[in-house]
Amino acid sequence: MVYDISQLTDFHYSALKEISNIGIGNAVTSLATMLQSEVKIMTPDLNVSRIEKVADFSGGADKIVSGVLMKLFGSVRGYMVMLLPPESAQLICNTIIQEENSDITNPMNESLISEVGHILGSTYMTAFSDFLGVDVFASTPFHTYDMIGAIMDNILIQMSQEVEYAIILDTLFTLKGNDMHGKLLTLFDPVSLELILQKVDAMFH
Amino acid sequence: MRCFTDEFKTDIMIVIGMADYAVTRSPEKLTTLGLGSCVGIALYDPVTKIGGLIHIMLPTIENARYTDNRAKFADSGISILIEEMIKTGAVRRRMVAKIAGGAKMFSFNNDANMNIGERNVLATKAVLEELKVPIIAEDVGKNYGRTVVLDTNTGDYYIKSAIKGEIII
Repeated sequence: MVYDISQLTDFHYSALKEISNIGIGNAVTSLATMLQSEVKIMTPDLNVSRIEKVADFSGGADKIVSGVLMKLFGSVRGYMVMLLPPESAQLICNTIIQEENSDITNPMNESLISEVGHILGSTYMTAFSDFLGVDVFASTPFHTYDMIGAIMDNILIQMSQEVEYAIILDTLFTLKGNDMHGKLLTLFDPVSLELILQKVDAMFH
Repeated sequence: MRCFTDEFKTDIMIVIGMADYAVTRSPEKLTTLGLGSCVGIALYDPVTKIGGLIHIMLPTIENARYTDNRAKFADSGISILIEEMIKTGAVRRRMVAKIAGGAKMFSFNNDANMNIGERNVLATKAVLEELKVPIIAEDVGKNYGRTVVLDTNTGDYYIKSAIKGEIII
């Protein structure tokens, strides 16, 4: 069956959200253990958007964030992106290295943020692949401190060559009460999305 | 694909999204946010003070699978931008170009496809040369994102980045 991304059924919507929920649950638990603090996650949001609009609705194209990007390999391909506002990135650094006002643009802290992104991304993907029975791995993380539009456009350009629409699983997580907000975005390429939906159909019908 | 400036007349600053363009005249300003590998091409006619700005994502419309949005590509996009400016009253032989963007945001070097920023810049330059629009200033490449503003009153092109501050070209 060929799935039209822009016309997913309600069932597929809920299934993708639920799978994403399992992934993010695991990911954030590992982060909470590392930071030894309480974590809250919002129910993941699933959005189908024209590629050109993705950066806008990820929080504003010119908003400056600490971004970590991973490519997904295996039978499912795509990208994962973690976006942290500067204050949240700083809070994570402060908590881990036990310092006040750490400088998030210093290379040590940049790699720390990358690792946090990597832990989140790979735990998410492990839960995801266990659940669906597909192989998927997250690449080493790439970090940059820049505008959301600039961080995302490379991925969107890659995707726009094959598809017009992107499905974005978008989860907001907060740690330490409401002091820290992060976003975890997952984008799958069209072939992978089809595989995922087939697995979902096989599982529930 | 917004080209009818009228609907934006209430706003002094017109925001252009990804794969989008707009044309306007003094005193309005045109802006596009967070250019990474994409390129922001500003065209300007200093006499009529008509300016156009386009935010392209890919070098060429040739062999592209989806071609409904021509503003996505350097070649087709720049052509429609010029046409639209002429319709608004600009004169083609007076047009000058300033370009910004085309960064290489991440260093996954092995992936030839990933250096799309450089390919976008090369394509932009080739298209402008073919269309005989001189590039009088540029700020391209490197590894950071840019937000740009074209001031149609002066033709100044403001470029702001997250860590490198602001410049005017």
